[in-house]
Amino acid sequence: MDKPLLELSNVSFTYPGAEQPVLQEVSFTLQQGDFVAVIGSNGSGKSTLCKCFNGLIPHYYTGDFEGELKLLGESAEGKRVSELSRHIGYVYQDFENQLVRPTVLDDVCFTPLNYGLADYRERGQRALELTGLSGLSREFIWQLSGGQKHLLALAGALAMDPDILVIDEPVAQLDPQHARQIYEILRRLNEHHGKTIVVIEHHAEFIAEYCRSVVLMDGGRLRWQKPVREALTSVEELLALGIYPPDVTRAAWLLQPDRQAAGNYPLSCEEGRAWFGRRTAAVNAADPANAWSFAAASSDGAPAVPTGAAARAATEAAVNLSAAEPIVRMEQIRLSYRTIHKTLQPVLSGVNLELYAGERVALIGNNGAGKSSLMKLIAGITVPTGGTVQVKDITVNGLPPERLSDIVSYVFQNPEDMFIDDSVRGEIAYYLKARKLADMDARVEEMLQAFRLQELAERDARLLSGGQQRRVSLAIGAAVRPAVMLLDEPTANLDISTKQEMTRVLEALRGHVETVVIATHDMALVAEWASRIIVMSEGRIIADGDKEAIFSDGQLLRRAGLAETQLMEMSRLLNLPQICSSLKEFTAAAGGRKGELVHGGSR
Amino acid sequence: MVEAVKRALGKISVEHIKLELLGTAYNSSSTFLGRLDPRMLLIWYLFFAITPWFVYNRTILLGMFIFMVVTTVLSKVSPYIVFILCLGLVSQIGWMFLLSLFFGGGAESLLPMLTLTLKLSVISLASITVFSSLDPERLSDGLSALGVPDAFAFSLSYGYRILPTLLEEFHQILLSFRLRGQRPAKHGFLYLRTAAYYLRILVLVFYPLMLNTAKRSRTTVEALETRGYTYAVNNPKVKKLRLSYLAMQRRDWLFVAFSAVYISLLFPLGASFPNLLY
Repeated sequence: MDKPLLELSNVSFTYPGAEQPVLQEVSFTLQQGDFVAVIGSNGSGKSTLCKCFNGLIPHYYTGDFEGELKLLGESAEGKRVSELSRHIGYVYQDFENQLVRPTVLDDVCFTPLNYGLADYRERGQRALELTGLSGLSREFIWQLSGGQKHLLALAGALAMDPDILVIDEPVAQLDPQHARQIYEILRRLNEHHGKTIVVIEHHAEFIAEYCRSVVLMDGGRLRWQKPVREALTSVEELLALGIYPPDVTRAAWLLQPDRQAAGNYPLSCEEGRAWFGRRTAAVNAADPANAWSFAAASSDGAPAVPTGAAARAATEAAVNLSAAEPIVRMEQIRLSYRTIHKTLQPVLSGVNLELYAGERVALIGNNGAGKSSLMKLIAGITVPTGGTVQVKDITVNGLPPERLSDIVSYVFQNPEDMFIDDSVRGEIAYYLKARKLADMDARVEEMLQAFRLQELAERDARLLSGGQQRRVSLAIGAAVRPAVMLLDEPTANLDISTKQEMTRVLEALRGHVETVVIATHDMALVAEWASRIIVMSEGRIIADGDKEAIFSDGQLLRRAGLAETQLMEMSRLLNLPQICSSLKEFTAAAGGRKGELVHGGSR
Repeated sequence: MVEAVKRALGKISVEHIKLELLGTAYNSSSTFLGRLDPRMLLIWYLFFAITPWFVYNRTILLGMFIFMVVTTVLSKVSPYIVFILCLGLVSQIGWMFLLSLFFGGGAESLLPMLTLTLKLSVISLASITVFSSLDPERLSDGLSALGVPDAFAFSLSYGYRILPTLLEEFHQILLSFRLRGQRPAKHGFLYLRTAAYYLRILVLVFYPLMLNTAKRSRTTVEALETRGYTYAVNNPKVKKLRLSYLAMQRRDWLFVAFSAVYISLLFPLGASFPNLLY
């Protein structure tokens, strides 16, 4: 415990030709048994810091390196990456590219085999057991789901039985339940197997629940290293850097922003329940006339009652919709894929669906529920095994995708798959140019402006950051002015502040597109944006309704492999009259002021 | 005719090709030949790839051909591959025959060509047998054991590992081109316009694909470093450990013995009946 496992002292690193160093005099110690989260905004040096641990910097990336690294009390100077890597397992953010062998067992044994350890098979098997992949050892990599690939990358690192595990964004691409599964495994490794774990993480809720301490990076400097509670309750400081503490913590901060209270801010829903409960009691005691009683609401038994105006608006909308012609109509859709074993794998079974103009549809469900497949059917990219798909009275089945591209545009999950030209402007113009449209230049300009891409217009889209790439992909889709726009996981791989921005970017789509469909498992996005929610599970639609109807049924989300956002869970725990989806609504409701509550409810 | 081509093309999808390719590459450990020692198979192949060039006795060639047909059946080769092979052989013979007719030859000119075809068939069938029986892993290990540089052997197996990923990405980018492009309004004479449109896209897809791959391989190269690959390359002990599972077993010896006996019987037979066939 006394001796630090890893020690960086006064480390600075500058890429050749760069003016600013990416790391500036960073000193950092890693204690045996710690579970550290490294946070910081994009480009603050989080990955760079972690790449110093195993000597990738300075051995692999050349540049000016100063300072010293000590691993297990020994100076790392003169040691190669492969020597240091015996003690440090590294899981990349794009983990798929670190799997280099064809089958699961081969890949997990690769590292110990490379180091010439005779028991490499046993090591591989043990690592697979630790990550729960034992049953899949003979499978081929490309048959695994994203979550399984990630676990395999982790297992590959574990096979060496390293002292330190570094994981770059462990849950970026996973649905909430798989994300939790990964963290449960990491916790077990930390608590029962004595591994020291370092994660680069954006999700404060996971940090609060699983990590022990937090390192904050800012502009290449290590600003501080604090225990997790102290770190995450520094709400103001974190927000200033574009890092978002858990929603409950922020809610508490909004209601009571003084510094003395900070230490008591809740970090989890459990703590939040106590905190907000105490607070309400205090408010009630101080001003009973103005207080709103949680007890009264819970005795009503029906927490989610829409206010009169909202209910009326909903009915009116429903009447309008039923009178209108649906834009998309799917009848008895079935879809199955052929696998390598020549068997058919059903993906969708008996789906009926109608989508109308003006709807903002969220298609939710866990990885593999059939969301993407459903959207690809609408875009005419895949042909259904049975049933018919109609878009604007055109029967889609089997039409070449070119025919539909004026009506439906599909934005891929991975923006890079959409980049076929050498500049952002070229990407947006490609469709318009192919059709020789007269107002091409004007439309491109309009899109560049709507998605704030003017300054990036001449850059190659492949070299932009994740959030910028996403904006380009949306602009490409919107330039078509389609009736239906389909977005596959638009917030995957984005950090939280970029995610927050997405809601605004999606607003920019309005006016260009009649109906927008988003497949996602990001419940915060759904809560803020959607007007209609369709829940999918195992190739079927298991629920379809508006926010209130879907979110008030906590069981439903769990059945679909999803998790409530903290605000939803808090609203339920506190028996608020409605399930809140934004911080504003929540603080208004939980803050105990009646006037704002009504306002929030009719929004 | 055009309709038939259209229907055939409709059945070929990128997904389909992917499955077929990977099936051929990896679904081999279930066959008899797939369980044999890769080093032995490679040497066996070398024999059947080279000797036919020096044999002009049609009886011997026929004997080899029959043997190869049996091994091909044993290795459960995908019918697609056999079809492509037959197509190649038939068209080869076909145009040469046409050419000989043009220069005043007749049906008798077919016979010498048949000898060449027999040779080619033996060699092709031997290749198909061996390479569909050896999955890339065993092939790579076999080559490595026979002294081929490790870097080459590893890239071979890695190439297969990354193939499905590349195909998938190829498919996605192709889709992007199609979704945003405009097919010619009219098919043109003999569908030439449509064909030109698709061929052009097929070529264009490779540019983004290459750029994306370059980007991706950065992580891979780095990860190889952290996963001890360079350590392994510089340590002969590691290679020994990796290949320690290769061992000649009873069935390997039996297979070698059978092949040797068969060939050694074939040569005297060919010498006594050189014109068994024609």
